[in-house]
Amino acid sequence: MAAAATPVPPRNSLFGARLREAGWGYAFVAVPMAVFGLFFIYPFGYALYISFFHWGILGKQPGTGSIGFHNYHQVINDHVFRTAIKNTLEYTAGVLPLEMAMGLLMALVVNQSIRGQKFWRAAFYFPSLASSVAITTIALYLAASDGLINRVFGTTTPWFTTASTATWAIVVLNAWTTSGTVMLFYLAALQSIPTDVYEAASVDNTSTWRTFWRITFPLLRPAHFFVLVVFGIGALKVFDQQYLASGGTGGPNYSTYTAVLYIYREAFQAFDFGMAAAAGTVIFIGIFVLTVVQRLTVGRGEAA
Amino acid sequence: MRRVAAILVVAALALVAVIVATAQAGTKTTTVTLAGWSAGADEDQLLQSIVNTFEKTHPGIKVDYSVINGDYTTAMTARFAAHNPPDVFYVDSSLASTWASQGVLQPLNSYIKSSKFDTSKFYPSLLGAFTVGKSIYGFPKDWSPLAMEINKGMLGAAHATVPKNWAQLRAAAQKIQAAGVLPSGAKPICLSADWARMLPFVFQNGGSLANITSPAAVAAVNFYVGLIKSGLANTPDKLGSGWCGEALGKQKAAIIFEGNWLLPFMASTYPGIQYGVFPMVSQKTGGNLAFTVSYSLAKDSKNKQAAWTLLSWLTGQKGQTLWMSKGLALPSRTDVKAIGGRKNFLIAAKYAHGWGFPHFATAYTIMNNDLSAVITGGKTVQQMLSDAAAAMKG
Repeated sequence: MAAAATPVPPRNSLFGARLREAGWGYAFVAVPMAVFGLFFIYPFGYALYISFFHWGILGKQPGTGSIGFHNYHQVINDHVFRTAIKNTLEYTAGVLPLEMAMGLLMALVVNQSIRGQKFWRAAFYFPSLASSVAITTIALYLAASDGLINRVFGTTTPWFTTASTATWAIVVLNAWTTSGTVMLFYLAALQSIPTDVYEAASVDNTSTWRTFWRITFPLLRPAHFFVLVVFGIGALKVFDQQYLASGGTGGPNYSTYTAVLYIYREAFQAFDFGMAAAAGTVIFIGIFVLTVVQRLTVGRGEAA
Repeated sequence: MRRVAAILVVAALALVAVIVATAQAGTKTTTVTLAGWSAGADEDQLLQSIVNTFEKTHPGIKVDYSVINGDYTTAMTARFAAHNPPDVFYVDSSLASTWASQGVLQPLNSYIKSSKFDTSKFYPSLLGAFTVGKSIYGFPKDWSPLAMEINKGMLGAAHATVPKNWAQLRAAAQKIQAAGVLPSGAKPICLSADWARMLPFVFQNGGSLANITSPAAVAAVNFYVGLIKSGLANTPDKLGSGWCGEALGKQKAAIIFEGNWLLPFMASTYPGIQYGVFPMVSQKTGGNLAFTVSYSLAKDSKNKQAAWTLLSWLTGQKGQTLWMSKGLALPSRTDVKAIGGRKNFLIAAKYAHGWGFPHFATAYTIMNNDLSAVITGGKTVQQMLSDAAAAMKG
C-alpha cells in the first residue's frame, strides 16, 4: 500500500511504461510464435534430427544409432530421387511462365472497363476455388484415350498416362487452375500503379503496346517477384496431380515422379522416415537457395 | 394414483439399472477392435454379420469393427506410430514382411502353440506370405490367383479355341483380330504395365524372382511385351480403361488376366457381358501369383488374448466358411469349400507364389516404372531385370 502511495520519479515512470508496452507486445507476439514454434520450428527440427537415423514407424530402428549423413548420401545417389528433382524442375519451368503469362493477361483484361467485368473476374478466378482432386479426376476422364479431348481431335493418346506427355498435361491443367490466383495479385498491383504515368504516356501519344512494355510491365516488378517466389515454391511442391494421375506410382517411366511424391513414398510406402526426412531437408535447401537467387536477381531493391 | 404409478415406474427403472450393472460386472467383457479397408458394401456387411455371430458365441468379447476409408497404409502407419493400432487388422501379403521388420506385428507362434491352432489346413504358399523366418505374423483370410477371362462372343465369332499355352494365346489373339469382331480401338488382349500381372508369365517359363535376370525371365518378358508391341495387346489406359476388368466390360479387350475380384465387379457393373473364366495359361510349367490378405495382431494391442481368440476364430474353419458364403473371395484353407464356379481359380493353389518381395515398395515402383519404359522402348528388358534384381536387394 505504501509503495503505491509513493510518487514514482518521472524518468522511471517513462521507463516502466515502455517496459509495460514492450511486455504487451511480446505477449501478443507470443501466441502466434508458440503456434509457429509448435507446428513449424519443432517439426522442422525434429525432421532434421530423424534424418540422421534409420527411422521407422515406431521411431529409431532397434539396435541402430546415429548413422551420420548416410541417408543424405543414399538420397542424393538415388537415381529415382534425381529423376524426381529433374521432373519437378521441368514442371516448374513449364508451369511458372505459363501461369504468370495467363494471370497477367487475365488481370489486364479484367482491369479494363469492359462489359461484365465482374463476371469475367469471377469466371477467371473460379478454377482456383475448386478442389484440385476433383479437377484432376475430371481432367483424367477428359484426357483418357477415349475421352472427350481425344474424340474432338481424333487422337487416342491418354495424355496423363503417357510418359512423354504426362508432365505437360499437368502443366497445362495447373496453369489453368492457378492462373486465377495469379490474376488477383497482378490486378491488385495494376490498380496501385499511379495514373499520372499513363497520362504522361498518352500526352506523348505512346502506343498501347509500348505503354505496356515500357510502363506497366516494369512497374509490376514487385508483383512479378512475389508471384515468382510464392508460385515457384508452390510448383516445386507439386504432388496431388501427379499422385492421382499415376495412382501414386510416379509412372509411367517415372514421368510423374516429383520431389514431394518421393518424400511421400519413402515415408508412407517404404516406411523409411529417415530417408524421407533427408530428402525433405535436401529439397528445403534447394528451395531456399533458389528463393535467395530469385531475390538477388528479380527482387533487386524489393523489400518483399 | 398418478403419483403411485410414477413411483412404481421409477422403482422399476432403478431395479433394471441395478440388474444390468450387476450383469455387466459379472461377465467382464473385453472389447477387441477390428479394422480393414472396404472392398465394397457387400463385404463390409458380411464381415459385420460374421462378427455378430462371433459375439453371440463368445459373450466375454465385444468386437468393435470399423472400416478404414482412404489410404489404408498411411492411416495404419499413423495408428502404429501413435501406439494406438486396432487389435486385429488386414495386412496385404506385399506389406507383411516390411511391417514385421518394423516391429508393429505380433508374432503368433506362442498363441498358436498354447491354443493348439492347426496351421496345416492353410495352403502353404499363402501362409508363407505371412511367415518371416520361423515367425508367423498373420493367417490369410482369403486369396485369389489370376485366371484368364475371355469374352465368349468374340472368341466364338473368331472360331478360336481357349488357349492353354503361349503359342495358343498368340494364335487365338491373331484369330480374334483377323475376324474383325473387335470394336474400333479394342485389342484382343489387355495387359497391364504391372509386375503383378507379368510375373506369372515369368514363373510359367521356369523363371524366378531369386534369379530374375535369367534367360527364362528375359524370354517371358519379351513374350509379354511382344504381345503389346505386335499390336495383339495393349495396356488398359490405351484401351480407355482404368484396369483390364473395365476393358473386358467395355468390350475393349477379349482376353484378360484378372482375379476373383473381377466376378462381383462384372456382375454389378457389366452384367450384360458374356465371359468365361479359364485357367491361367501355362508354358513350361504352371505359374501364378497368390494375392492374399491376412488377419494380423498388433504388437501394441492391449487385449492380445481376446484378439487372438477373434483372429483364430475368423481364420478358423467356422469363421472362414461363413466368410465364403457369398463367393466374394476364395478360401485360404483346404477344409473350406469355395462356392460354385471358382474351380479355375482354385487349381492355381498348388503352384501360386505369394505376392510380395523384399524391399517391396521401393522395388515395385522401380520395376513397374521400368516395365512401362520397356513397353514404350525407353529401356531394354535386360536393363529392367537388372534394375529389379538390384532393387530387391535394397
